[in-house]
Amino acid sequence: MKESHKNKFKTPEGYFESFNERLMKKISKEDSMIPQNDGFKMPYGYFNGLDKKILENLPAKGSKVILLQSYKPYYYTAAAIAALFLVIFTSNWNSDKALQFEDLNNTEIAQYFENNEFGLTSYEIAEAVDLNESEIVNINDMSVEEATLMDYLEENIDEYDEINLDYNENL
Amino acid sequence: MIAEETLVNELKDKTSQAKAFEVLVNTYKERLYWHIRRIVLNHNDADDVLQNTFIKVYRNIDGFKGDSKLYSWMYRIATNESLTFLKQQSKKQGISGEELKNNIIENLQADVYFEGDAIQLKLQKALATLPEKQKLVFNMKYYQEMKYDEIAEILETSVGGLKASYHLAVKKIEAYLKAD
Repeated sequence: MKESHKNKFKTPEGYFESFNERLMKKISKEDSMIPQNDGFKMPYGYFNGLDKKILENLPAKGSKVILLQSYKPYYYTAAAIAALFLVIFTSNWNSDKALQFEDLNNTEIAQYFENNEFGLTSYEIAEAVDLNESEIVNINDMSVEEATLMDYLEENIDEYDEINLDYNENL
Repeated sequence: MIAEETLVNELKDKTSQAKAFEVLVNTYKERLYWHIRRIVLNHNDADDVLQNTFIKVYRNIDGFKGDSKLYSWMYRIATNESLTFLKQQSKKQGISGEELKNNIIENLQADVYFEGDAIQLKLQKALATLPEKQKLVFNMKYYQEMKYDEIAEILETSVGGLKASYHLAVKKIEAYLKAD
């Protein structure tokens, strides 16, 4: 039924189209035992000064803005320099044999990564590294002696907890 | 409200950037705050993560190509910043993610910015038992009242999958709240 043209009242655009959905939502919430308010609040007037606080913390005008992607060259440079130092200090200067990556001691490599905090989150690394350029290593092809594995876990048991910290969907 | 495309262009232009950024912060600060707060739970942590989120948006706006909506892109950054924050906290404190969640909930009772009663505290405990994605979907749908297609764009997943996750989350929470 069409509303009389004498009616001067108006409703927001799309009001009746979305009415059923809003009504059903309200009914389902009222039926639910889950509280409609989760009890969180914040300091009085928190949002009023927030924009000023954020603007003050922005990188200064004219300062170089470092994009996430640009970490990549730094990674390579840092790794190359570190590898060079490790090679120089851990090898015999008079040796005729050309040095290979295999000549690096595993402990020294682990030590390097341990001591050099890159400060990048996994999110930032994921942004910077292009998966298409990476080789997929089939870990099944790698054979690890059980004793070596047990030794590793024994020594690094403190970090083992992190393996459980994932956000996988377990339906 | 200023059109999103105009805002993005102004954010990329050095001459209008500062003003546009102020508009951006004022437009999205509350929505993003509540999204972050429901992940990290504590107000001070939410404040830190919210500021980091906006700083990250400011630094990376030139790389925003407009393939997704600006607000979905910002929500994604906020979600990642919040989850990364929790991971860093558990690493710093030398405890598992599970232990960290339990500690945060225990501390809620003493938090001046949480005025929940026993049932609201139990709700947080119930939410802590959910897989991260179900928890996100539940909070976004039930408390932030977002539409499925908006959530789907933010979490980069299908609407069908989201509906299943949401209903499963509701069932699990109700079962937890019913239990003694």
